Amino acid sequence: MATELIDRAPAGPGGLPGEEAAGVLLAPAAPRSALRRLAGSRSALGAAALLALLVLAALAAPLWADHVAGTTPYANHITDRVEVGGKARDVVSPDGVPIGPTWRGRFFLGADVNGRDIMVRLLYGGRNSLMIGVAAALLTALLAVATALVAGYFRGWVDGVLARGLDVIWAYPVILLGVALGTAFAVGGVRLGPVELAGDSKAIPVLVIAVVYVPYMARPLRGTVLALREREFVAAARAQGAGAVRVMWSEILPNLLPGIVVLLPLMVANAILLEAALSYLGAGVRPPEPSWGTMIDDGVARIVTAEHLAIAPGLMLVLTVAALNVLGDRVRDALDPHAGAGT
Amino acid sequence: MKRLCVTLATLLAATAASAGCGGSDGPAGGGPRTGGALTLAQTSNPDFLDPAKGYTVEASAAHWLIYPGLLTYRHEEGAEGSKLIPAAAEDLPEVSRDGRTHTFRLRKGLTYADGTPARAADFERAIQRALTLQWGGLAFFSVIEGVDEYVKRGKPGADIRGITSDDRTGEIVIELTAPDGRLGNILAFPAAGLVPADTPLEDLSRRPPPGLGAYRFGAIEPNRRYELVRNPHFALPGIPKGNADRITVKLMKSSQRQVQDVIRGRLDWILDEPPADLLSEVRTRYGDRYEENTANSTYFQFFNVETAPFDDARVRAAVNYALDKRALVRIFGGLLEPDCNFLPPGMVGYERIDPCPYGDPAQPPDVERARGLIRAAGSEGAPVTVWGTDEERSQRVTEYYTDVLNEIGLRAKPRIVGAETYYAAIGNVETRPQTGFLAWFQDFPHPANFFFLVAGESVQDVDSVNPGRVSDPDVNRRYEALKREPAEQNAAEWAALDRLVIAPEKALVAAYGHTKDTTFVSERMNLEDCTVYHPVYRDDWSQFCLK
Repeated sequence: MATELIDRAPAGPGGLPGEEAAGVLLAPAAPRSALRRLAGSRSALGAAALLALLVLAALAAPLWADHVAGTTPYANHITDRVEVGGKARDVVSPDGVPIGPTWRGRFFLGADVNGRDIMVRLLYGGRNSLMIGVAAALLTALLAVATALVAGYFRGWVDGVLARGLDVIWAYPVILLGVALGTAFAVGGVRLGPVELAGDSKAIPVLVIAVVYVPYMARPLRGTVLALREREFVAAARAQGAGAVRVMWSEILPNLLPGIVVLLPLMVANAILLEAALSYLGAGVRPPEPSWGTMIDDGVARIVTAEHLAIAPGLMLVLTVAALNVLGDRVRDALDPHAGAGT
Repeated sequence: MKRLCVTLATLLAATAASAGCGGSDGPAGGGPRTGGALTLAQTSNPDFLDPAKGYTVEASAAHWLIYPGLLTYRHEEGAEGSKLIPAAAEDLPEVSRDGRTHTFRLRKGLTYADGTPARAADFERAIQRALTLQWGGLAFFSVIEGVDEYVKRGKPGADIRGITSDDRTGEIVIELTAPDGRLGNILAFPAAGLVPADTPLEDLSRRPPPGLGAYRFGAIEPNRRYELVRNPHFALPGIPKGNADRITVKLMKSSQRQVQDVIRGRLDWILDEPPADLLSEVRTRYGDRYEENTANSTYFQFFNVETAPFDDARVRAAVNYALDKRALVRIFGGLLEPDCNFLPPGMVGYERIDPCPYGDPAQPPDVERARGLIRAAGSEGAPVTVWGTDEERSQRVTEYYTDVLNEIGLRAKPRIVGAETYYAAIGNVETRPQTGFLAWFQDFPHPANFFFLVAGESVQDVDSVNPGRVSDPDVNRRYEALKREPAEQNAAEWAALDRLVIAPEKALVAAYGHTKDTTFVSERMNLEDCTVYHPVYRDDWSQFCLK
């Protein structure tokens, strides 16, 4: 496996590599030594532990809902009353103000305007946000790697067409493009040959986020492929009769992996943020399905009288994205022998 | 006197910035005071300032005062405010025996705000302008003979066959295609308000034409503010001449800021309700300058009676039994008057349906009975898509309503779409919406303006206002007969139709209440004596006054 040194790519949106990042190539340390460096980083361990906690909490959502809160993320309890401090209180007051945190099983973090349990929705929302973020990032990586390999390896008109296609997507502000696609798909759904997605499918935000972020990953990778295809080991493989697909798969792709590994946590963080933004703007996860973005949207209009509605999901979002960013940085440091060990 | 006023204004500047000092002829012991300047705010622009194009609430509040037509409404609250009175006409019309010919006579000596004398021919010009400029309620004028022909021909300024006038005698004769009890209401729209016959057939929103009302437009800064100032030529009896000398209407996007500005005295009144976050505070801390009034509106869930499971009246009734109106009041932040009636309380023909066949709106719903009806109809587990818009209230109601449908045994999921596409989507027969959110605010105070939503005449394949495709023979028969006559003549029959539409054996809709409008004024405004909540135009600006 060939090794080259990655340079620090100028940042695009959300800390992703920017347009001028073409030609970046990561020179990974050996996997074991990289893991050792990662394990020695307190911030990496802290971020990983926090992420693990958030994922576990999200996975435990049904347990909390069934055995502690006794409700579902969709059940409305608008006219219910709940006992707090020995007094029965309305879950939603007659003038529409929802109850705040009770710090007990039912309505631990309070209720929303529809009388739904915020804690339950927060956990289920976390499942959705994390699932969409990870799925979108993986799909972005898949599309970006395929595009970069084909464009960078074949060059010429193939590269021209693909690169211009990436330019077109790049030219649109991420949020605007996401909202436009999300809104259009939400009404009519998506039909891609035999694949049909309903307007309220969670696969739609995954698809939208993946598409809008492809250029941010594909462009630096394409530059790397352009550099790699001129290397001796690629020429040697071709001289031995290896076809284009085999060269791309066996010789070039392994050298892209360290770069992908570094970009992936950042991509997940950005995908989660974009999902929240799209859901906040009504173009992501469809109600009544919870996600942190839709929950923030629900809470903003009542930030004075029911601040818990926006603060709880906002805090979860900040913690998740911060943890992913720290982890991404530390992974990059661990894979880069020239960088100092993270703390 | 003027110097004293300036001195007082200086002394009081900290608490009453920009207080008008024009008023000196008000009664010393309170009551309406005339003079002074008021500053009001709206969140949205009026769609147009030209009366021949303006159609929104924001536009009509001003147009009502500036452009009276042959008839207008009493400037009164409640049912009195729904009554038509002659404005530019000398009297109510003489109606022929067949109900198709209505003859008016223009008041003598009327002059527009710019000094132009009014003539009988001006009425036809107003209608020509509304038709040519494609006013939003253009279809209402189709009751006049020759209007459809005018629209089809597309020749601006052509004669409208059903309108003849004689400038010498002031006589205006209107021929209808068929007797129609809504004509008076239609003529009371500001779009039918008289303007000089030489007014161009083009949008004059930047320089609106003069009218005959108590006020005229003053300075206009598009998208920022516009002014209403007194019309020195105003001479219509029975219509208030207005208390304030000048009314400035600002356009402010932030409703939070609007409320704060009213609290601080920088604004005197706001059109829109305080945002949910501030509503409680306004109610509790500023209750002495805050009011709520039930609007002539109705909120309901429509049912597609041609599509399962709502093609079965038992399923529709089950939904009515299961809806908890107490929950809906909370969703509306308390700004909902829960009710069983389809007609709103301010409408002729409204008789509170008590007892409500689905139970007291203030008590918990009968969910068990609803489940039983669903079982009896064999609709357990039937898939239902619930339509709603992404606007706050609609989305909240849709999510709640979906939960209710699931609770009674259906298998429902919501379909929330942007408000801008919602009505086109549910109004298209291809969409086949099963059920969803609808709200209706009257165009004019006639029960027909509500019941046409569930009448066969409004079933269309596109842009239908009857997305449930309701066409019940009993309802249609009664509606068609009643709509031909003025509402007051058949109040009891309209009330019976109201009961029929919601009766469990029909349950054509799930009506749950009527929204409330809010009035929030500055400390210097006289809320007690000078706010008149009109059933058509909401707060009457001409009666606003300072303390």
